Amino acid sequence: MINSIEQYLGELRKEMSGSDRATVQDALSDAEEYLRTALDAVMSDKAPVAESEALAPIIERYGQPAEVAAAYKEVERRTPPVFSRQRVTEIKPAPAPFLPPATAVPTAPPSAAPAVPDNRNIAAKFFGVFTEGRTWGAFFYLMLAMFLGIAYFTWAVTGLSLSAGLIVLVVGLPIFFLFLLSVRGIALLEGRLVEALLGVRMPRRPLFTRQDIGFWQKLKNLLADGHTWTAIVYMVLQMGLGIIYFTVFVTLVSVSLWLIVQPIIGYALDIPSFVIGDYGYFTPVWALPFAVAGGILLLTATMHLVKFTGKIHGAWAKLMLVRE
Amino acid sequence: MDEILEAVKKFQKELNGGTASLVLLGVLNNAKSPMYGYQIAKLIEVQTKDADIMKQGALYPVLRSLEATGLLQSEVEPSVSGPPRRYYKITESGRKTLAKWREIWDQTKELVEATTQGGDHDK
Repeated sequence: MINSIEQYLGELRKEMSGSDRATVQDALSDAEEYLRTALDAVMSDKAPVAESEALAPIIERYGQPAEVAAAYKEVERRTPPVFSRQRVTEIKPAPAPFLPPATAVPTAPPSAAPAVPDNRNIAAKFFGVFTEGRTWGAFFYLMLAMFLGIAYFTWAVTGLSLSAGLIVLVVGLPIFFLFLLSVRGIALLEGRLVEALLGVRMPRRPLFTRQDIGFWQKLKNLLADGHTWTAIVYMVLQMGLGIIYFTVFVTLVSVSLWLIVQPIIGYALDIPSFVIGDYGYFTPVWALPFAVAGGILLLTATMHLVKFTGKIHGAWAKLMLVRE
Repeated sequence: MDEILEAVKKFQKELNGGTASLVLLGVLNNAKSPMYGYQIAKLIEVQTKDADIMKQGALYPVLRSLEATGLLQSEVEPSVSGPPRRYYKITESGRKTLAKWREIWDQTKELVEATTQGGDHDK
């Protein structure tokens, strides 16, 4: 017997254990929206009844935690995250004399995305990195990370020091509260960005704060929630990471491009490869093919590193930003 | 008796897997303004009358998956009294998909009716 929305959400969380964390968060948000809206509707049109009594028929209609959890798991299994969609190969059912039951029911079109085995040969795999959306998404993200990181860092440090400084005065507390709320908002936005560019599944909606509790309890909940703090740590570290990503990848890409354009700048534009003191050094003709090939290899390897770094950063963001 | 109940449940579940998407897309296609989950669930509840076809909680993940595949789009708006709400609306590709799904549905319906209802097969 479930007596309160919190208890329902607790049980739903338990039922969802083992699922993707972001899915769990989505499921909890959805359930909370439904249950609270429904409960409000009942409470406002009838004579006051106990929450537990009013809740029973609502839960009956919404579904028990186990049923709801099963529905999310089922749908999640069939829904690929943003970038893996392009890899879905359509499996055409063999022509059957009679309409098979599977096709009789329309389902969401690009349904299952079971890991498609990668059958490309090794060269296609290596150079194919340029044609993958995820690579470019990750590249863009890694370039952007420095600028966002600086903004996050500034915001986090300003918010923390301002609140700490003013905490002796009364205004410090509401400022601190607003700052913590803004951290949650930024965590959600960063999550959307990470999902769009890095293809890691992140929450698609905010976690609701409870409506039935006062300011102090809300502040306490925010303080007690580890992910408020890990999100702040993430914001602070993002600047350092962003600078590293930017420097490393800009350097690698420039060196690769510099190698690739050697024949043009050296022999068509007459610009030396190096200038040391008064002397310009040109790449000898015999070395040009090696320079160009090396540049192409380095650029491709860089793109693999970009993709890999994106994946690692996605996992890191998920660890720091998504509440268990 | 148990195996019949089991079979009924299984059939209902499998059927819902597809019809839920169709119904939700249909509801949002007819909606004049974006709707949020609870509104959609209530509207469907009114339409299903007393039949216990599907749990309302099962609609939400389908909405989400339709959004993930680009057939719906959504935005979150804070509400005055309760938790923020996610408003869904159908996209252009959602409308086109719905038209195709309707065709499939009509064919399926005809097939099911023609084969499951007693009738003269020799005609």
